[in-house]
Amino acid sequence: MDQYLQHFLYPSTLFASKDSYVVKTILGSCVAICLWDPVAKIGGINHYMLPNWNGNDLASPKYGNIAIEKLIERMLQLGSRYENLQAKIFGGGDLIAVDRSAMLIGERNIRVARMMLEEKKIPIVASSTGGKKGRKILFFTNTGEVRHKFIDKQVR
Amino acid sequence: MTNISDRQLIKEIRDRLADRSKFEREINSLSLELQEVTKRYKESESLKSHFISNISNEIVNPFTSILGLSKAILSVEKNDWKKVVSMVALIHSEAFNLDFQLKNIFVAAKIEAGEVVPNIAKVNIRNVIQTIIDSFSLVARKMAIEIVFNFDIEYGFGKNFYFKTDSEKIKLIVSNMLNNALKYSYKDSKVILTVTVDEDFLTIAIQDFGTGISEKNQKIIFERFKRLDSGINSLNRGHGLGLSISKALLDVLGGSIEIDSRKGEGSTFTLHIPEAKNVVEGFSGEGNDIFFDGDDEIF
Repeated sequence: MDQYLQHFLYPSTLFASKDSYVVKTILGSCVAICLWDPVAKIGGINHYMLPNWNGNDLASPKYGNIAIEKLIERMLQLGSRYENLQAKIFGGGDLIAVDRSAMLIGERNIRVARMMLEEKKIPIVASSTGGKKGRKILFFTNTGEVRHKFIDKQVR
Repeated sequence: MTNISDRQLIKEIRDRLADRSKFEREINSLSLELQEVTKRYKESESLKSHFISNISNEIVNPFTSILGLSKAILSVEKNDWKKVVSMVALIHSEAFNLDFQLKNIFVAAKIEAGEVVPNIAKVNIRNVIQTIIDSFSLVARKMAIEIVFNFDIEYGFGKNFYFKTDSEKIKLIVSNMLNNALKYSYKDSKVILTVTVDEDFLTIAIQDFGTGISEKNQKIIFERFKRLDSGINSLNRGHGLGLSISKALLDVLGGSIEIDSRKGEGSTFTLHIPEAKNVVEGFSGEGNDIFFDGDDEIF
């Protein structure tokens, strides 16, 4: 598998490519949506921390609603066709059970993903969300495959 | 159909009414929320168009001055060098400002595109901050403001202090802080930069003795495109992105910012930045972990 280029996906960023990349990321209450176009073999992934943009900060993909729009936009720019897109959702765990407000973030992040993808008619073909643990995922942009593992460490 | 007594009927009706009013309340609160969101989007839209007109001034005006001044220099008499020096100083200050604003705009665009990642190296903090102060020295001199630099880190005799962080981001954040401090200062005053380190936290405080920020305004200055119209030396310069960018960049570094300000007495902005870790938690850093062990799931 040497031919894979590597990319580490930081929170609040997104990544999409036609080339064969393996994208790694770590999720706590954050959510990552992997979009894949099986026809054009284009894969893209985002990693957002909060569900909705508050209208005050820079409109960055730190926020779910913006991260989803921007990822779709990026996929289409690379030549994906809207109707081919399929989605996989990961993350949204609640790691900090002590803090009640933080507890809801994971859940709200997942809800935004499901609502927006449904509204946009992009099918969710796989998901692993919620729970009490963090996740480590590898996303292969040319096959759309995601390898997924739970981790015990505290992550954002 | 079953017969029900009057009492049951009344109870059923009462329950349904209660349900209904509960849903009504829910709908009301949702529509209030919707109105709030719509209002915010409208506000944001109008701020954006303000921003565009600000930004074109921000770029066009300096260019006009630079063009005009350099043309004037070309036609100066050979022995009139003093005139040239003052015009070159003006060109420099206009170009400096232009460069600074453009950097901010490009970084904002990168942040919004989700392309800003930490770029960690060992950074000589004293050098980085001294370079920023030097770059603002002409601006400060023009306004007769003294920039005081307190570097309160003991680190062995003659040795340099290094801190693992992203120097480009630190530069832009501190430049924005310093730019604001100068912009809202009165003539003949001071701006004090103090750098300290506590365990693995770097603290940079930027204090000015300028107009200060009221408590109400302290809450809104981080919003993008927001500007307070009380810049004394500014003639309304700036695009209102500086603080939003700084905050977003601090986010990337895992840092935070605090304001302490009183109207009329000046402001202190304090940055707290944690030292970056060598490897990202959970990954070895060398990328040997493409293959997970047996217990990974495949989706």
